Amino acid sequence: MTKQDPQNRCFLELRNIHKRFGGVHALRGVDMSLQAGEVYHLLGENGCGKSTVIKIMAGAHPPSEGQIILDGEVHDELTPIQSLDFGIETVYQDLSLIPNLTVMENVALGEQLVEGHGRLLRTLDRARLKETATKALSQVGLNVTAELLSTIVSDLPLAIRQLVAIARAIACEARLVIMDEPTTSLTRREVENLIDVVSKLRSRNVAVLFVTHKLEECYRIGGHAIVFRDGQCVAQGPINNYSRTDLAELMTGRKISEKRYRTGAPSAETLMVLDRLEVPGRFRDVSFKLHKGEVLGITGLSDSGRNELALAIAGIKPAAGGSISVNGKPVRIHSASESIDAGIGYVPEDRLSEGLFLDKSIYQNEIALILRKLASKFGILDMKKGKEIARDISEKMRLNTADIELPVSALSGGNQQRVLIGRWLSIDPEILVLHGPTVGVDVGSKDAIYQTIQKMAEQGIGLVIVSDDLPELLQNCDRILVMSAGEIVADLNGAGANEDEIYQAMLGSVQEGAA
Amino acid sequence: MSAAGTSHNQAAANAGPGGGLSGLIAKRPEFVTLVLLMAICIAVTIANPAFLQPSTLIDIGRASVVTGLFALGVFVILAAGGIDVSFTAIAALTMYSITLLVQKYAPDLSIVVVFAIAIAGGVFLGVVNGFLVYTLRVPSLIVTIGTQYFFRGGLLAFIGTTWIMELPGEMATFGRLSLLEFETANGAIVSLPVYFLILPVVAVLTWWIMRRTLMGRAIFSLGGNPEVTARLGYNVKIVHLFVFGYAGALAGLAGIVHITANRLANPFDLVGTEISVIAAVVLGGARITGGTGSVIGTMLGVLLVVVVDNVLVMVGIPSTWQRVFVGAFILLAAAFFVTRQRKFKPAK
Ligand SMILES: Nc1ncnc2c1ncn2[C@@H]1O[C@H](COP(=O)(O)OP(=O)(O)O)[C@@H](O)[C@H]1O
Ligand SMILES: [Mg+2]
Repeated sequence: MTKQDPQNRCFLELRNIHKRFGGVHALRGVDMSLQAGEVYHLLGENGCGKSTVIKIMAGAHPPSEGQIILDGEVHDELTPIQSLDFGIETVYQDLSLIPNLTVMENVALGEQLVEGHGRLLRTLDRARLKETATKALSQVGLNVTAELLSTIVSDLPLAIRQLVAIARAIACEARLVIMDEPTTSLTRREVENLIDVVSKLRSRNVAVLFVTHKLEECYRIGGHAIVFRDGQCVAQGPINNYSRTDLAELMTGRKISEKRYRTGAPSAETLMVLDRLEVPGRFRDVSFKLHKGEVLGITGLSDSGRNELALAIAGIKPAAGGSISVNGKPVRIHSASESIDAGIGYVPEDRLSEGLFLDKSIYQNEIALILRKLASKFGILDMKKGKEIARDISEKMRLNTADIELPVSALSGGNQQRVLIGRWLSIDPEILVLHGPTVGVDVGSKDAIYQTIQKMAEQGIGLVIVSDDLPELLQNCDRILVMSAGEIVADLNGAGANEDEIYQAMLGSVQEGAA
Repeated sequence: MSAAGTSHNQAAANAGPGGGLSGLIAKRPEFVTLVLLMAICIAVTIANPAFLQPSTLIDIGRASVVTGLFALGVFVILAAGGIDVSFTAIAALTMYSITLLVQKYAPDLSIVVVFAIAIAGGVFLGVVNGFLVYTLRVPSLIVTIGTQYFFRGGLLAFIGTTWIMELPGEMATFGRLSLLEFETANGAIVSLPVYFLILPVVAVLTWWIMRRTLMGRAIFSLGGNPEVTARLGYNVKIVHLFVFGYAGALAGLAGIVHITANRLANPFDLVGTEISVIAAVVLGGARITGGTGSVIGTMLGVLLVVVVDNVLVMVGIPSTWQRVFVGAFILLAAAFFVTRQRKFKPAK
């Protein structure tokens, strides 16, 4: 409306973009076009390729196939500086702040770098550095003091880092501001402020691409919805044309979202009891019972304390207060190995950095927990038995390869996750804590993982799934505990609950949007 | 929700390292180096007041130049998240080959030109390091261990193994040029040589590059998080070439200073001292994992190592013990800096 020429309004276009990471086909032919002054909401489940498409626009990844068209000019890939030069500013999901530089430098260095088209042999304009940083930081609602400006970013709490990353993106004159889940750890007041910032950008004819899982924010801001599923764009149009259920269906694909995997029921026998568990500043007063053969879901926003709770049960970041007992006996869990001794297995959220030895074979990964059991008293491994066990696990987990000598790095994300979960089958755990078991996993692997979860429950294992994937919890759990601000705020029946109800509990007192 | 998160701004105010002594130490780790240095100096002075004589101080100054130049190069590479152990080999290779060339072809060459050639040679060898580290994506420790052997082996195998006792022309006289000169009580003449000036000049230049240019920020940024640095539009390749080239330049410079000060060119010199140079930089507060450190801290670290190396003898501590002291200081500093990190870096 502000620009006259309708053809020029589309300033960025993606054509048939594909992206492969080794075996993972993350984007499968994405077409998108963005217009100035418009707000877009990129929606989709975890792992559907939202961050990847953003990184391609920002020049952080080259596409494997396809074209990026900037103002009519066709590019096969962008470099970061090209993208910045064009006016694309990004708030990355991982924030991408430089931990050892100050807040001021993180926010405002980019301006001078881009001005010189990336040339580094220039003196810093320190006065302008301060001016730019101060302006951007106050726009995101921070109280700018000399102390804040000179604070090293790694000394900041997460929420402020998130605001600093947003400030960096709006510090320069941009044409497109991309925000990948910028509100995960913000308070309501800060979210309100961000919504303000977005409408100001829009009024200056800047386009905004917003990624969030909080649908009510999208409805409040308005604009276009772009829905991704499994690396493809499945819908695009004004967001008010879609209801919440429409969007949920588009994101998940109907069939998968409706099927409930959980058919069994837990036994009456109590397996694990948590009593007023606490990690100061993270969560407090967490008490619940887990029965044999029960599948218990725990969810909440990422700052709700759910992650810390999982780490405390696993002994990785032990609890400071309260107690845990297994089979009626109190257990002391101050380290991961004490947790294993208590019969508790833990499948970490970040399988790449915490769980798997990527360059080692499937076999070696699957027997990693039972090396001591396999070794003779002279320390020599019983390879034959190990391989037997590994083959058995691979079969149970329905890996797509029978070759247990293959390095894990050659597997797709879903299959890697199956190896990681399968490893625990080798020690016969009584309790298994799964942290984000299907993050970054495709639909087919999800199916296999869910079936395994149910099979383990049938065998009497007590499972705790910590996840923000609500359909996953609804499909698999007997009970769902919702955490908010460090406490359990709801205890819902998995069969009867719905996503809305869980969202309500997660967000505390937030009212419904204009759905 | 609201109760948990209303106070981000207050949190921001408290988030930085707290005030007082611990805050100062967290922000300026070189403060610890300074305290340690002063403590040693005071202890030595009490044990033997002769320490405060101008002649001792001048000795320390002279002895700091070569280590100091090396250390500034190491600091720049550490700040970028790398490490270099080949700089002594670069220095040895450039100094010896240039001396040979000058002796043979241009004995009257001006010392300024000699320095220029040495710096150019050092830059070239350094850039080779940088290029290999960048393109092979191998840890720089491995690459520079390789090039150290390569440069040194090349020197000894192809260029020469004999000492050059008679330096040509200005190379021989430059080391004797003095800034100030005086006689001590016992009649010996001590002088502060002109080449001493090189260190403060280079230190200021390094400070300026690291603090006042975009390159300096890019170097720290690379040391903080290389992947993100590339994502933010910095040309990571140029930064690699720059830091290794710069360290190479300082190594070339230090090599010539070393021979003019000693008035002889020994191809077996220097290599083997890199660990104590790296120790000096780490004692100055730079983390071995990269992304931190300062010029002032590096200079204090160098002084600390030089003082321990040179003056413990004055209080009757045998020279064999000096290494034990340096080692103890490093462990002490390491323990200290690690606790500091635990305390001030909130767990991720
Ligand atoms: N650097 C990478 N290497 C390998 N696989 C990746 C990488 N980045 C993303 N992926 C995979 O690509 C898919 C899409 O990921 P992503 O774009 O982060 O999803 P989203 O942001 O929508 O949650 C996932 O399966 C993920 O595991
Ligand atoms: Mg993402």
